[in-house]
Amino acid sequence: MTKLGTIIRQEFKVAAANKTFIILTIIGPFLILAITVLPGLLSMNPKVSSGGGPVAVSGGDAAVQSALEAAIGGQGRKLVRLGDDEASRTQAKADIGKGALDALVVLEGDWIDQGGTIYTKTGTDAILFGLVEQTLGTIARETRIAKSGIDPALARELSREVTLSIVGVGKDAGEKKGIEDAFMTTLFTAMGFVMLIYMTTILYGQLIGRSVVQEKVSKTVEVMLSSVSSKELMIGKILGLGLAGLLQYGVWAGMALVLSKFLAPALGIAAPAAVSLGNIAWLVTFFVLAFFLYAAGYAAIGAAAEDESHLGQLAWPLLVFLIIPLVMISSFVMNPDSTLSVVLSLFPMTSPIVMLIRVLVSPPPVWQLALCLGLLAATIYAMMAAAGRIFRVGILMTGKRTTLKEMMKWIRAA
Amino acid sequence: MLSLENVIKSYETVRAVDGLSFEARPGEIFGLIGPNGAGKSTTIRMIMNVIAPDSGSIRFDGEPFSEALKDRIGYLPEERGLYRKVKVEDMLLYLAALKGMGREAARASAKVWLERFDLAEWKGRKIEELSKGMAQKLQFIGSVIHDPDLVLFDEPFSGLDPISQDLLLEAVLELRKRGKTVLFSTHVMEHAEKLCDRILLIRKGKELVSGSLAEVKAGHGHDAIQVEFDGDASFIVGLPFVAAARTYPRWLEVELREGADADELYNALVGRLHVRRFEVMSPSLHSVFVRLVGDAAQEDGAVNGGAANGGAANGSAANGGKETSHD
Repeated sequence: MTKLGTIIRQEFKVAAANKTFIILTIIGPFLILAITVLPGLLSMNPKVSSGGGPVAVSGGDAAVQSALEAAIGGQGRKLVRLGDDEASRTQAKADIGKGALDALVVLEGDWIDQGGTIYTKTGTDAILFGLVEQTLGTIARETRIAKSGIDPALARELSREVTLSIVGVGKDAGEKKGIEDAFMTTLFTAMGFVMLIYMTTILYGQLIGRSVVQEKVSKTVEVMLSSVSSKELMIGKILGLGLAGLLQYGVWAGMALVLSKFLAPALGIAAPAAVSLGNIAWLVTFFVLAFFLYAAGYAAIGAAAEDESHLGQLAWPLLVFLIIPLVMISSFVMNPDSTLSVVLSLFPMTSPIVMLIRVLVSPPPVWQLALCLGLLAATIYAMMAAAGRIFRVGILMTGKRTTLKEMMKWIRAA
Repeated sequence: MLSLENVIKSYETVRAVDGLSFEARPGEIFGLIGPNGAGKSTTIRMIMNVIAPDSGSIRFDGEPFSEALKDRIGYLPEERGLYRKVKVEDMLLYLAALKGMGREAARASAKVWLERFDLAEWKGRKIEELSKGMAQKLQFIGSVIHDPDLVLFDEPFSGLDPISQDLLLEAVLELRKRGKTVLFSTHVMEHAEKLCDRILLIRKGKELVSGSLAEVKAGHGHDAIQVEFDGDASFIVGLPFVAAARTYPRWLEVELREGADADELYNALVGRLHVRRFEVMSPSLHSVFVRLVGDAAQEDGAVNGGAANGGAANGSAANGGKETSHD
């Protein structure tokens, strides 16, 4: 075995043959599912979203109060009917402060024209506010219609809402069925994939950075460099950890396919359409590219860093590029072909994540894909070369907190 | 044979190695000595091809240094470093593999060395479980497991108990006997004195003196007088014919001024101390080191306006001795 092969094997063993790696490999997808899809599902389902605390109403007639009771009853809440005197309102507000009540709805005599007021502790329970507003709105509308002398049945018929069927059209003008909820499932799948690629890129980047900085701090690097070149050491570490990452992705992809192709049909659940073999192949491809790009960056700053906390400080320029696409994900899903999406899906530091979203939502033109991959490959090459130079100088530098400016100087000097 | 010729290496503001030339021959232990920061580590790194010299040449058996030559070098760094989570035997096999050694040969060699250093029963344990001394021995094994032709030992004895020191000493002498080139870097003069055939004393990247131990002592030191005694010897420093003295509670070494005689000292001691041993001998390497490095620092001081030099202070402090000549 060559020396490079020996290093790769050792680094792979260190990364993959420990409990953390094995546990993470197995529970990783569930974790990502838990932090991406579940909060969305939960906040959209009124039944599970609320704490179900009682809501008080003061004012309004019996019909209004019954309507409110029915509406919030769907959330499992009880309605407390209060008198419309100031004293009971003050008492109710005190109860809200103590947490005995979730909210107080106050309706004055002219609420249909002037609107009502809702008192809450947090002001963030949008679902409750929406329910109350919708209920009051319906009653107010019907009251106004009745006042104007129009037949309520006629008015209801006239103000009936229009439904919109959503049908997707593929490249061959064929219709795609079941696209009605495609936005949601695509968003969730995209979120899941993006979180996966984002977290693993950061995770493996930091593993490499830490591995390098530990090599340096523990002085093992002196012994290593008496046997191999700094280039072999750096590439060996990157490839060794990269193999561990690929193994992890292999397991995850296998799990995803088994779940969606066999388990989901067996249980009668529709698997998200976006979890397909092709999309998983793209996920792995973009992970590999993102991995090499950021691995080179982390290897360089790992070599330049004084210790692990210094590594964290030096890493922020890399992290910024990873976080940008993450915070803008819904914009990319809704407008996959906007100028911003296209630009960020070509810019190499953000392209692995943004282009992956575009591929999942609406396949981009082939030339853009090719350009994206080409630019990424070229950037990875340049990044590796620069990292090699920083690594060579930095790995032996001790007792000094290197700045980004100095690292740039090392790149130019070598 | 390892040969360096006019090797120069500068970092941004300092010239770490400044025109260094020397040869270390097979079958000899060559001591690279000097105060901290003298350029020893930089020199060793250049020999291992970890950093490149700005100019000058470094050759081994006539070949310029390259990555391929690394397989023939063994290195024991001053700051020991092993992977804490890796098992003892796996670590050795990994280090051996990185030197291009086959797995079976490496396993056999590891077995021999581990037994020799009383570590055989630890081979399946993680390195973090070892004591500091055991880790040092393991690191030493790592530097010789592939039977290198050139070994670089940086402070090999630091932190070892006397028994381990003897084991290591025996191993180093055996390498010498088998015709290996041994480069030994230290600032502990007692070790250098016991082991080295020839030495090179450097300071601020430059040669201060070089040659066989006898040559260096003859050329750069006066005969010294060592005394073992009971009593209070603090008055020694004040004697007019004493140039320098190192005093410990029960042992002292005195260097006399030019023209003074050992008898004068003996007469001065009698009656004031209970003398148990009185011996006139060639100066210790320690006193040669202190004198040369101290003189050089004084010259720097004269040039730089009297600022104390860190190198000399480090050199003496490392030995824990008390330099009464400055008091």
